[in-house]
Amino acid sequence: MNKKFRDSLINLGETLAMLVLALLVGALMVKISGNDPLEAYSAMLTGAFGKNPLKSQMKIYELLVKVIPLMMVAFAMSIAFKAQLWNIGAGGQFVMGSIASTAVALYVPVPIPFRIALSLAAAIAAGAFWGWLAGWLKVRFNANEVITTLMLSYIANCILLWLINGPMQDPYSDLTQSDVIPEAMFLPRLIGNYRLHSGIFILVFVAVVMCFFWKTPLGYQIELVGQGRKVATYSGANVDRTIQTAMLISGGLAGLAGWIEMFGILHRLFPDIASNYGDISNIIALLGGLNPYGIIASSFFFAVLINGGSSMNRMTNVPYSIVDVIQGLIIIFVIAKVILHRKNSSAAVKKSK
Amino acid sequence: MASSIFTLSFFVSLIASTIRLATPILIPALGQIYTQRAGILNLGVEGTMLMGSIAAFSTAAATGSLWLGILAGILAGILFSLIFAWLTITVRANQVISGIGLNILASGLAAFIYRVIFGIRALPAQVESFKPINFGSLSQMPVLGPILFQHNWLVYFAFLIVPLSWFIMEKTTYGLKIKAVGENPRAADSKGISVAKIRYSAVLLGGAYAGLGGAFMTIAYLNQFTESVIGGRGYIAVSVVIFARFLPSRAALGALIFGFFTALQLRMQALGVSIPSQLLLALPYAATIVALIFASKNAAMPSAYTVPYSRMER
Amino acid sequence: MDNYAVEMLGITKIFNGVKANDAIDFRLRPGSIHGLLGENGAGKTTLMNILYGLYRQEEGIIKINGKQENIDSPTKAISLGIGMVHQHFMLARPLTVVENVMLGHKSRRGILLDTKETAEELKDLSDHYHMGIDPYTKIYQLSVGEQQRVEILTAIYMGAEILILDEPTAVLTPQETEEFFHTLREMRKDGKSIVLITHKLEEIAALVDEVTVLRDGKMIGTRRAEGITKEELTRMMVGRDVMFNFPPLAEMNLGVKLSIRDLTAVNDRGVPSLNGFSLDIHGGEIVGLAGVDGNGQNELCEVLTGLRKETGGSIFLDGEDVSGKTPRFYIDKKVSYIPEDRHTTGLAMNWNLKKNMILKAIGSKRFMKGGLMNEKLITQNWDTARDEYQIKAIDGDEKARALSGGNQQKLILARELNADPDVLIANQPTRGLDIGASEYVRQKLIESRNGGAAVLVVSADLEEIMQVSDRIAVIYGGRLMGILPRGADVYEIGSLMMGKRQEELAHE
Repeated sequence: MNKKFRDSLINLGETLAMLVLALLVGALMVKISGNDPLEAYSAMLTGAFGKNPLKSQMKIYELLVKVIPLMMVAFAMSIAFKAQLWNIGAGGQFVMGSIASTAVALYVPVPIPFRIALSLAAAIAAGAFWGWLAGWLKVRFNANEVITTLMLSYIANCILLWLINGPMQDPYSDLTQSDVIPEAMFLPRLIGNYRLHSGIFILVFVAVVMCFFWKTPLGYQIELVGQGRKVATYSGANVDRTIQTAMLISGGLAGLAGWIEMFGILHRLFPDIASNYGDISNIIALLGGLNPYGIIASSFFFAVLINGGSSMNRMTNVPYSIVDVIQGLIIIFVIAKVILHRKNSSAAVKKSK
Repeated sequence: MASSIFTLSFFVSLIASTIRLATPILIPALGQIYTQRAGILNLGVEGTMLMGSIAAFSTAAATGSLWLGILAGILAGILFSLIFAWLTITVRANQVISGIGLNILASGLAAFIYRVIFGIRALPAQVESFKPINFGSLSQMPVLGPILFQHNWLVYFAFLIVPLSWFIMEKTTYGLKIKAVGENPRAADSKGISVAKIRYSAVLLGGAYAGLGGAFMTIAYLNQFTESVIGGRGYIAVSVVIFARFLPSRAALGALIFGFFTALQLRMQALGVSIPSQLLLALPYAATIVALIFASKNAAMPSAYTVPYSRMER
Repeated sequence: MDNYAVEMLGITKIFNGVKANDAIDFRLRPGSIHGLLGENGAGKTTLMNILYGLYRQEEGIIKINGKQENIDSPTKAISLGIGMVHQHFMLARPLTVVENVMLGHKSRRGILLDTKETAEELKDLSDHYHMGIDPYTKIYQLSVGEQQRVEILTAIYMGAEILILDEPTAVLTPQETEEFFHTLREMRKDGKSIVLITHKLEEIAALVDEVTVLRDGKMIGTRRAEGITKEELTRMMVGRDVMFNFPPLAEMNLGVKLSIRDLTAVNDRGVPSLNGFSLDIHGGEIVGLAGVDGNGQNELCEVLTGLRKETGGSIFLDGEDVSGKTPRFYIDKKVSYIPEDRHTTGLAMNWNLKKNMILKAIGSKRFMKGGLMNEKLITQNWDTARDEYQIKAIDGDEKARALSGGNQQKLILARELNADPDVLIANQPTRGLDIGASEYVRQKLIESRNGGAAVLVVSADLEEIMQVSDRIAVIYGGRLMGILPRGADVYEIGSLMMGKRQEELAHE
């Protein structure tokens, strides 16, 4: 137990070192662009936490607002990733969930409480279907899920664009957006006029469930499938079914994230609703080592990076794209981290020259 | 109504545009044939193309030379894919994650570079892009002229290297080595072939092509850079290779199919036809999935596809 | 002072802290066949991989024809006239014979392939050694024996004067082995020096001039093969005498447990590989299934455990038709399976040992509390198994990949036998294990039989088959060739393995 604890501590230390390294390279680039890195990063920090974190509640609430979709989608991805299913199209599943729930909210004439329940179900179902489709294509036709989830994600965005340019376009304006969903369906805000909404409770619920998920038989089964088709089949697992289940849950969670975002923040469809949650949550899930606690921690880190980054973009001359660069560097450094552990053994091989 | 749209000139411009739009898919796809046959799935092509496009554009804008722009695009592609090669071959990291990571990096980096070089401006920076080659009277021919003889040199170049790619793959020692490395790296190693060297070369070659494909977008197809200039073409190139089962001629066919759908969508939109043009835009992506289904059916994937190689692991 | 083709002096090689080779001296005389003898894991292959430039030694020097050389890659080895044929063939299957050969040599046409010239020369060489290889055939179309010939041909073509063969006869029938020996003698006549890695004593007597014995990574000695006795070699190899006589097993017959009727199945490539196989196995009985690798053994085991669907015929378990069921069904019916491939089938290599122990019991009430898999129960289960099966491991939290082959197999054995099987299928249960671990595994198989299980042991190792089996069944071309009693003659088994039917033998 002690050794296990020490190992995870070392692992954490290394990951943090990689984050720092990415931030340093980012600083170098800020410098190259003719700006002051210190100024940029302090703008980022105050952008994320406010000048005095204890007093600027708004910033903290905004962080939480950002954390909600990021963490949900990262959880979604972690389930597929654990089965070695590279569902990189969670963004598309998010969009499908948003579309389905908005359609229900706008067009299904049932009393509001039912409509809320129905829209929630529709979001999860639509996301789950979009995820499952890739799982099914893999099982049935051996179609590489990396490509199919990606293509399905593009298709989801095309469908969104079509809907808000046509059938679901806002009847009161020429903008490419849908009508606003009934206000009675909005997720209630928690504190005054701040944007933090009750969707956070759903997130907390999902996070708690995720902390136990990998101990359930289904969680074990999904992880086992990720160990290889042969050994999973040998162990009595129904690999094809498990792949589809994992993609179903993964997509369902992404769809749920779409629902929360739609009813909590966005309230209407418009282009690019999924932002780039798909890609960022991908990094969050991996940075968190697919582990629920790791994902929770790295979601907060990325929320700081993103909120701080956009405020830095406003307050200084440093462009937001530096945040993308840092994100890219983080993932590359974290991947490359394994080489630290291999050094010893390969050094031994080379020594004999 | 329909008859007034589907005129001869509609078809002529549709096909000409298909060929033009196939080019930025075909070039990176041909490069990825080498990479993938060597057993490496490089999803970072998308980002590599983006780096190629910004390098080509800014070089062309700075020097006024499109040819230097092309060179810069290729170089950027090689350098950027070098990171991928290092991650996947030397570090032996997961290829999918590495590719996606690099795409995120590239999206930030390209935008950052553009901003640093060109600053914030009301109108996008522009270059004078490559002009169509003038074939004289051939270019003036009706129908065939616009379809075949009014493109810039890169379009012809892309289709000319299709047979060349086949020849390299099938008739040269290098092609044989690539196939062996993708198929049975241990066997190749035991025959004295450096698996890492061949894989590095295959990834860098793919990167060079991707960089060229990116350059095509900014200085041969368009004349400006936007953050979404590649628009998924890198990913499509990767799937075209799988669709083509690693054959250059079939990759050309795949690229043409994608070019066709995109061209059709653009044309429909331009004509204001009341066909949901955004849905048409989805067709190439749907077609990729369908292609993948057929390609996977009797998949002739290299046995060592996406598998890192280490001599020490038995 | 003697001239040697190869001198390896004081070679030491360390893998993960374990000395795979410990200060080994090895000398190969030109124009001779030298046997490199030792149990699995003795370090023979490692030593030869060093000579071939695949591994680098930590210590020691290598001289080729009296000149010290630094062999840092196979390319260097090839340029020094060293060729190696590995146990697992180093061939790219979708490529043709000539393409595989061209991989290793410099083309006469520069960057272009010289397919035609190479193919012609290859044909000539093949004819010279009576190998009958068509250069334009794709590798996957060739039999295992033919692929081996391709490997040897390739090495010779690339100019090998020193040829290393790693357990070449493991995949051959006794009769194919004879032809193969003939080829080797011809090569010796042509002046080639050959190293034959083997653990088979018969091959030493039949073929080699000198023999070097390794044990546990150490060099035990080099002897002239002439006049050396089997017993002496065995002592050198294992450090003790092993029995060559197998005592009878206690009579145990409990009636038919597993009945296989006219079973047909295809392999991964869709080629029929079981062609109407029938066999009954009784409770309290071990049936040893002998046969050359690739004659349908793997497919049979997989069909019997639900991992592969049969194309025809049926399986009865206690009289119930269980054909076409899922792996889960067989697991629940107490059919245990020790698969041939530990690394991709038997173990989740990146899972820890505890979790590997419950691989087949995910969701089983035994390991659950409150709807969740319970770490404590899983750990208890592991602790018990480790003690009972003497698995050498740190604490059960390490990955399966960190274990040695023998301990990996013990883990599988523990898991499969703890399920208290009614039927036990063991496919090559001791392949790649050292002699101690192998003995242990066989003992456990016999214990399981004595507990009343119906046991099928598939093995390419005839000695093993003869040691553990109540009855010996022989498979060839996916068919049962015959069933022989315990203590049957090795050559009779060999003939059946070659595809002669038992009835035909009776007429000879």
